[in-house]
Amino acid sequence: MNLSPRDPGGPEVITQEHLLLDAAERAGRVREGRLAVHLHLSRLRPQNRQEGYLRVAGRMLEPMVSAYRGQIFLLSNADIVFLVNQPSALELKDQIHRLRGLFAKDPLTNDDSGDGTDLFCTTYDLTFDFDAFIAMVKESLANARSRNRGTQAPELKPIDAAGLGAVLERLTMLDAGPFVRRQSAIELSGANANVIFQEFFISMADLQRAISPDANLLGNRWMFQHLSGTLDQRLLEAMRRMRLTRHPPAVHLNLNISTLSEPAFQAMEAALPEGTGLGVEVQILDVLAGSRAFFEAQRTLKERGRHLVIDGLNEATLTFMDVGRTGADLFKLDWTPELQEPHRRDVVLSALKHVDPAKLLLARCESETAISWGIDHGLQKFQGRYVEAMLAATTMAVCDKASACTLAQCTQRHAVIGGQLRQDCGNNLMLDTPPPMRAPKRKVPAR
Amino acid sequence: MSADVQTKGTPVPSTENLLLDYIHKLERHRHGRSACRIRLSLLQAQNRREHHVRAALSTFEGLIRRLKGQVFALTNSDIVVVFKDVALDEVQAAMIKLRFLFDDDPLLMNESSEEHPPFVEWYVVDKDYQTLLRMAQSMVNEDIERRTQDKQRSEEAGQPAQRQKRRDPLTPALLAKLQTALIGADLANMMRRQAICAMVGQAPPQPLFYELFFSIGELQETLLPNVGLDTSPWLFQELTETLDYRVLSLLNRHDDRSLQGDVSINLNVQTLLSQDFLTFDDGIKSSQRGTIVIELQKVDIFADLNAFLFARDFARERGYRICIDGVTVDSLPFIDRGRLGIDLLKLAWDASLVEGKLPDGNLLADYVRKCGPSRTILCRCDAANAIQVGQSVGITLFQGRHVEQMLAAETQRLRGGAYTRRRP
Repeated sequence: MNLSPRDPGGPEVITQEHLLLDAAERAGRVREGRLAVHLHLSRLRPQNRQEGYLRVAGRMLEPMVSAYRGQIFLLSNADIVFLVNQPSALELKDQIHRLRGLFAKDPLTNDDSGDGTDLFCTTYDLTFDFDAFIAMVKESLANARSRNRGTQAPELKPIDAAGLGAVLERLTMLDAGPFVRRQSAIELSGANANVIFQEFFISMADLQRAISPDANLLGNRWMFQHLSGTLDQRLLEAMRRMRLTRHPPAVHLNLNISTLSEPAFQAMEAALPEGTGLGVEVQILDVLAGSRAFFEAQRTLKERGRHLVIDGLNEATLTFMDVGRTGADLFKLDWTPELQEPHRRDVVLSALKHVDPAKLLLARCESETAISWGIDHGLQKFQGRYVEAMLAATTMAVCDKASACTLAQCTQRHAVIGGQLRQDCGNNLMLDTPPPMRAPKRKVPAR
Repeated sequence: MSADVQTKGTPVPSTENLLLDYIHKLERHRHGRSACRIRLSLLQAQNRREHHVRAALSTFEGLIRRLKGQVFALTNSDIVVVFKDVALDEVQAAMIKLRFLFDDDPLLMNESSEEHPPFVEWYVVDKDYQTLLRMAQSMVNEDIERRTQDKQRSEEAGQPAQRQKRRDPLTPALLAKLQTALIGADLANMMRRQAICAMVGQAPPQPLFYELFFSIGELQETLLPNVGLDTSPWLFQELTETLDYRVLSLLNRHDDRSLQGDVSINLNVQTLLSQDFLTFDDGIKSSQRGTIVIELQKVDIFADLNAFLFARDFARERGYRICIDGVTVDSLPFIDRGRLGIDLLKLAWDASLVEGKLPDGNLLADYVRKCGPSRTILCRCDAANAIQVGQSVGITLFQGRHVEQMLAAETQRLRGGAYTRRRP
């Protein structure tokens, strides 16, 4: 296999695209029996074409390619092209099928362009398709060149242990207030939609810019998990100092289970106004990492009338884990457009069939489609950017200061708990008091 | 690599000891190897801080990854590199980088003058073996002396010399230090094996395969004696990724018979997708893959299920078997081995298993039946009662200190038997 480092560690004189062109031209001399296969891995969703996946994909092809005296090229855009000489048609088909299976999670592997063209891979029989093949190869080379010349900002490297040590030091002095954001969750009841709680969290993008401009805080899962313990402390302090004109019906916080036994948690709880509910949101990983601690926490929260929420559910977590066993008060399912695909929808809904729909919330609703999908499938609770936009629009419709602002400004000001953005709003009481909203209606009747 | 925490009373090897041990082993493989000692200890103090040593060590990372050399980071900051001659150019290129890194230090500025010691000492192992051996020995002596002095000092300060039970928590800064030390360390001495055995009725245990793991207790004692590596689960998990690369490189050396045969190794999902694993895979005969079990921690699997599924399909396609490790009685109800598409499940012994019930009230025996009696391993069986309880719910595979004792007793019995038979 011809491997080229995909991370731009410096100008590379001979690229994979060069080598491919070279090999293609040589193959052109004796075309009979030669096949070239172009796997369009660059069309995969970014999360499905991580470096490790591509490396493994290349490796899986190796035995067959070497058996048929061929070559593999890992192109700089993540595509793979391989050449083989008189392969067994069955074996080739089988191998591509297996690769397709490896990436089955990505819509690319079962999409077609509408005209029957396979979007995942293109096969060229060089006896007939040589010209098309060489044109594709030349185009790849040209694209690679322009990519190299482009001034793409280099991706931030994941944070390492030494970097995390420095970040934690910076965090000890930091007031997290300016980094706290909030998002409202609504529940539909009849023709109305009411805010049931607000989730408060630290904006990682803003924090990243402020305290770790050169290393990605989210780039290493274990480092981030460790960091999150300290972030919990900062968030709780900021919550304790938060001054709103009016508190939401309930406050939700994303916390580590271990944080719940810290003094900072109790202090924040004590500072909550009488009658304000509290929900603690945890991830599936927290449930598994310390199941005993999780169940203990659940019991003590329940005793105090607090809610426990399982956050971040998706097709994968629901497929492999019976989340109903957590006995949580609320389950947050992350919306993705893929939920509209019937088989994915069925997987998710059947995993949730034993969960009371009143305990389900569709999160990350970025569009009206998400809300419609939720309503169609019996959900009543929603959260996400679209919900925020709805709230801001309703606020502007009734706010006496609305003529001075835009919808985007209103949305931004809703999201913060202090600072200039909030001061810019002429009606802080309205910011903290969501007006009654009309429930969104289905435009198209359900199936 | 996730490893069990095991502490033993045996003396612990320092990097200096590891180096000496390695040089001894090298005696039979002198040909075609060279070594060098980089005298960071002679640099000015401000030039040999933690991050300098780390930067210097990272220069050799590629060398180690491609299994062409071993690197030892000594306590006095010196670095010793032993490498195959094919990598000479690479090592020299690394030296250029190092000289550049420290070119403002008086040691390098005056290097050409006679009275200054050289920044780098070179050894051709074949020719200079005795000199190299003496150097390693003197490093060990220096280290012993340093430790004795430290001990005296702490005794003078009125503190007991023996290790205190309370350990400092692992911090990211300490982890970084540890990772640096591990870049070059040969951890062969810290490798342990423990058998996973079939145990049915009263029959003696039948080993199926052996788990290879680093003794975290010894690692801790050697490298960070006052720090509790288990104080931060997430930093520990990160440490295991560093250890993964060490275990792969150890297994790839093929010079230790005890590391071959039917084994299981602890790896992280991300490691399975790394170039190091592919290199390891290259070195494994296809017939052997089926006998290698890869143990993955449950948190690692659930931290990124999609990455797990990808790695699982790849590993199984290559013929490896997969075992989910780190499952406790409390998390057991959440783990569906069949649905995860995993071959084996390892449940850690817990006294509450005596009740035969899971926390959700379901019967343990029912769970085992569904999971598969020959696919469930009860590990950490340190006493006989664990085996009895396990067998009573249908488990047939066991691992732990008690199992080791039974195996040892069985070996003893067989040896004794052979001896008797030889007598007329």
